[in-house]
Amino acid sequence: MTTIDATNPVPEPPAYAAATDNYLTHTRGFMSWAGTLDHKRIGVMYLVSVLSAFFLAGMFGMLVRTELMRPGQDFLSQDQYNMLFTLHGAIMVFLVIIPSVPASLGNFVLPIMLGAKDVAFPRLNLFSYYLWLIGAICAISSIFFGGVDTGWTLYVPYSTHGTTMGGVIPVAAAIFILGFSSIFTGLNFIVTIHRLRPPGMTWFKMPLFLWSIYATGILQVMATPVIGITVVLLIVERAFGIGIFDPSLGGDPILFQHFFWFYSHPAVYIMILPAMGIISELIAVHSHRHIFGYRFIAFSSVAIAIFSFLVWGHHMFLSSQSPLMNVVFSAITFSVAIPSAVKVFNWLATLYKGSITLNTPMLYALSFLFMFAIAGLTGLHLGTLATDIHLHDTYFVVAHFHYTMLGSALIGMIGGLHHWWPKITGRMYSEFWGRIACGLVFVGFNVTFFTQFVLGSLGMPRRYHDYSGPGWSPDTTALFFKYHLVSTIGSYIMALGFFLTAAYLIHSLFRGRKAPANPWGGRSLEWQCASPPPHDNFSEPPHVGDCYDFSVLEWDEAEQGYHWRHDLPREPGEA
Amino acid sequence: MIASGLNSMLPALAAMTATIRPGSIFGMPEQASTIAPHVDLLYDIITWISVFFFVLIVGVMGYFVIRYRRTSHVAYTDGPTHNTPLEVTWTVIPLILVIAIFFIGLQGYVHMTTPPENSYEIQVTGQRWFWTFNYPNGASETNVLHVPVGRPVKLVMRSDDVIHSVFIPAFRVKQDVVPGRRTQLWFEATRTGDFDLFCTEYCGTQHSQMVGRVLVYEPDEFEVVIEEAARWIDKVLDAKLHLAGTLLFNQCASCHTLDGSKLIAPSFKETYDLFVNGDTRTLADGTTVTVNEQYIRNSILDPLKEVVDTYPSSMPPGIGTQLGDRKVEAMVRFIMRLDETAPGGQLKEVTRAELAELGAEPEGE
Amino acid sequence: MTATETHAHDHPDFLQHHWDTPVQQFEAGKMGMWLFLATEVLLFGGLFVAYAVWRGNHPDMFRFGSRYLNTTMGAINTAVLIASSLTMAAAVTMAQRNKRGALIILLSLTLAGAITFLVIKYFEYTHKFREGWYPGVMLYERPAHAESWIDDYPTPRLAGEGSSPVVPAAFAGGPVAEPTTVPPPAVAPAGVDAAALAEMDGIAADHDEHGRTHLLHPAQDPDRPANAHMFFNIYFMMTGLHGIHVTAGVFMLSWLIWGAARGRFTSAYFTPVDLGGLYWHIVDLIWIFLFPLFYLI
Repeated sequence: MTTIDATNPVPEPPAYAAATDNYLTHTRGFMSWAGTLDHKRIGVMYLVSVLSAFFLAGMFGMLVRTELMRPGQDFLSQDQYNMLFTLHGAIMVFLVIIPSVPASLGNFVLPIMLGAKDVAFPRLNLFSYYLWLIGAICAISSIFFGGVDTGWTLYVPYSTHGTTMGGVIPVAAAIFILGFSSIFTGLNFIVTIHRLRPPGMTWFKMPLFLWSIYATGILQVMATPVIGITVVLLIVERAFGIGIFDPSLGGDPILFQHFFWFYSHPAVYIMILPAMGIISELIAVHSHRHIFGYRFIAFSSVAIAIFSFLVWGHHMFLSSQSPLMNVVFSAITFSVAIPSAVKVFNWLATLYKGSITLNTPMLYALSFLFMFAIAGLTGLHLGTLATDIHLHDTYFVVAHFHYTMLGSALIGMIGGLHHWWPKITGRMYSEFWGRIACGLVFVGFNVTFFTQFVLGSLGMPRRYHDYSGPGWSPDTTALFFKYHLVSTIGSYIMALGFFLTAAYLIHSLFRGRKAPANPWGGRSLEWQCASPPPHDNFSEPPHVGDCYDFSVLEWDEAEQGYHWRHDLPREPGEA
Repeated sequence: MIASGLNSMLPALAAMTATIRPGSIFGMPEQASTIAPHVDLLYDIITWISVFFFVLIVGVMGYFVIRYRRTSHVAYTDGPTHNTPLEVTWTVIPLILVIAIFFIGLQGYVHMTTPPENSYEIQVTGQRWFWTFNYPNGASETNVLHVPVGRPVKLVMRSDDVIHSVFIPAFRVKQDVVPGRRTQLWFEATRTGDFDLFCTEYCGTQHSQMVGRVLVYEPDEFEVVIEEAARWIDKVLDAKLHLAGTLLFNQCASCHTLDGSKLIAPSFKETYDLFVNGDTRTLADGTTVTVNEQYIRNSILDPLKEVVDTYPSSMPPGIGTQLGDRKVEAMVRFIMRLDETAPGGQLKEVTRAELAELGAEPEGE
Repeated sequence: MTATETHAHDHPDFLQHHWDTPVQQFEAGKMGMWLFLATEVLLFGGLFVAYAVWRGNHPDMFRFGSRYLNTTMGAINTAVLIASSLTMAAAVTMAQRNKRGALIILLSLTLAGAITFLVIKYFEYTHKFREGWYPGVMLYERPAHAESWIDDYPTPRLAGEGSSPVVPAAFAGGPVAEPTTVPPPAVAPAGVDAAALAEMDGIAADHDEHGRTHLLHPAQDPDRPANAHMFFNIYFMMTGLHGIHVTAGVFMLSWLIWGAARGRFTSAYFTPVDLGGLYWHIVDLIWIFLFPLFYLI
């Protein structure tokens, strides 16, 4: 277990004692953050940025829902509405969900979990953060270029010469920049996992979170360049008219969709895989039970990564691609269901004979299971050709991907945030308010989006500003109104839950109880360093062992946290 | 918490499913085509499978959470860490299920993409933001699709600008309409009635108003309707031709208004005022043009030639040919006599029959 | 990694604090570079797919357009890049052998190759512009009221085929892509008016003096297929992106020369030279695909 013997010899503090110096206090001042190469600080910077973007895009989403609450134009014009749902989607996808877990929590946790001092390329890491920032500014600046109303999918020819709004190019440029931010993060993590595993940390000793980040990294590196070149072509098409996608010049608008989904389908797994990794950690730690079927979960992450490259065509069943392609893509699509199902069953089996605490992270993990089950199962309706024809581009799809993106990916991220919050900030949040907020988010989310499944089945198309008007039958309007009303009310409940979360988390920064090193009884390496971790992560070389073997821990009442068992000789500091 | 969340959902779900119209207990709309029952059956099968697995997952989860709830600060509990036969089982069973679902879905899809030989063919053109339906007998209707009951109908579709998509929920059919390509879909209506037709591929500002009606008739009634649709404009008396424009205006309504308010194209009121006063208007290239009858006609026949300043030139150029000479003439007169055809910005209500009859002079003539 | 290098006190300047050994750091850098090159290949991969689709749909356009590319210049450029790849590979070896002088000379030769390539490319591009081929139809015609490129522009190009609905005969089974028929521009790329043509004739005559009489001026060529100028859009797109990479290579090589002159690179630490070499080879490799695709076939 001689991992980091290259460090300068430092005086050995007692194990788990709160170090006098941690990464937050190591250096001070604005520049010590803006120019930091410490993965933990970069992770925190990402976290703050991503959550800010989440609240911005969330507000856009609330405005959209409010407009839809009842038929007729309420307070948003058609163009304003179109702009808002576009920005809601684009910001949520490219600025929030894709970087949410890997770049924020992953950045913070990955090297510590691995037992490394930093990621492989710290400067590249900081660079990709600034790329994110530039991308964010670029995306939001689109508002000042006249806005963008293309939907986040930017379909041609609407985006190249259908829309009068000038924000298409800034948004496309933002996607290009954010894409490279994402590529560099993924590249960094792949190399870190390959080259910075300390002796003893073999592939199959890695926590499952690292496996999922690794699979995600592969997707980021292999899929993102394609969206990069696609948006470059889109920009050039709109600015100069090169005609690759323009049917009137002999180009092919369907080619754009192929390019777009060749990235954007794997991107779905860039979003969900890290959340799955978090759930594997949360369920094992909060059940105090060895994860069930470690290898199956690990390999299913890799399987999902591979399959996800082969299914993009299922977004295009109605795009006039050939029927044969539809059949092939439908068939492969079903194959992705299998590794996802395997993961769910293994998580359930992990609960069996566990010792389950229902604290906030675990509640989020269980919410994830609930909503991911719905997300995955409704995927069957959409993967099946005959039913997809009816459901395609309706609210059924909207509900399905919100269950996946928000109900699973972001709920997983928020669960992980609660799980690692004590480690990141060194403070405990209010468990009581945490549970209340989780309940509100859970109920609000399901009321909002389950309703939309029914709405979609009934035929309500997506991206509609209104569901009344000259061509509309009053019966249809009345029917849709009921569901839209319920959905909007649900979204308010959910928003309340998120605001409450923000409130008690911020409160905990100032008033929260000091966090012990290991409040939940986690066994992976990040729980072996102080909360918050010292600048170099480990004042002691960590013990690499079976990261799901919780039998070496015991509860310490005084510290309100878990300890290495005193009767074992492997206590850090005593070894 | 989870269990209580679930409980709070169940009454809401029950309340929702109770209000849904027949078709499926899971919320499919009414069935009005031959394929709708097939699609609904498949939808129900998949939904039942989903319900089964969902109840299984959440049930097992809830049971374990309650059964193995922590009572003290135990650091560790012993349990199995792996079980390969179990893993194989829960890999293979879903695999078999999804293969089965795929093949059932495939069958339905093959049926849905193969129009019968003798289908009645209707040409569909999607433009922002209205649908034009052209019938073999020359009839051309906007936003209203007439179809006979009990006969396969094939829609051959094209777009003149961006991607649109035809969606008729009651028939369970949908197909994108892609510029530069021809796409098609077919259906056979099983009952008469009035159904929704939506555009489901986002196409801009008025996307949510690119909505049409599907009117299904008995076969003999259908013949009468499309015959009337083909010939009504010829029957309109010349003296009333300007009023025929009120029946054509819905094609223009997505961009032009009658009361002077601004959409993406000049309001007809504005044009009319200029015409009455014999004024000129400034074009995008800086020149001016007198608003007279010839100008109005040119704007319809060649809309991209003289584009009014501050407006994007987005009017489909083919629209003149599509309408035909007499309808263009009707629209020109409609704008020139806007004070009669749309007094106060309100479209005058006339019927096709009134326009063909001498006696029923609309009041105000 | 060897045991001798893992010694804690042997922590040279170039070794970042989170690495144990220089070998570990080097291997990580190399792996990162390979992954980055994979993303570069995928980036160009998108364009190659676009090329394949475009060419599959419009073979005549490519046959016609490629005649207007100057194969001699392309071939010279190919030779220049291959030679510079050789000098780059040799430079890496010299860095490994601690031969600083040779390293600087070889890097400078590589840089000279890169610059030569760009100069030749510049002449090729300007020649195309004078012939009236531009990257993108917006450069041929710009609506009067579109004041800047970010403005909306009108959509006459979407006019399509008029309004008479034509049903393709081959409608078997499902939605069939109809080969897009685009009305051929009368004589010239869209928007090139008579005055511009006259001006081009002047240029064509100029060509004659330089012995390039084997080709008619593109605007007058009777074999000209519809939208022939579209070939040049993808030509400019692909060679342009490649050119941007060569330009990046020029900066990278200059930086390497600067570092070599300061004696940064030794047999213990030559990672930047090695990684730069990898990058330069991939840039060459992409050109080796571009050259035949555009100039030869």
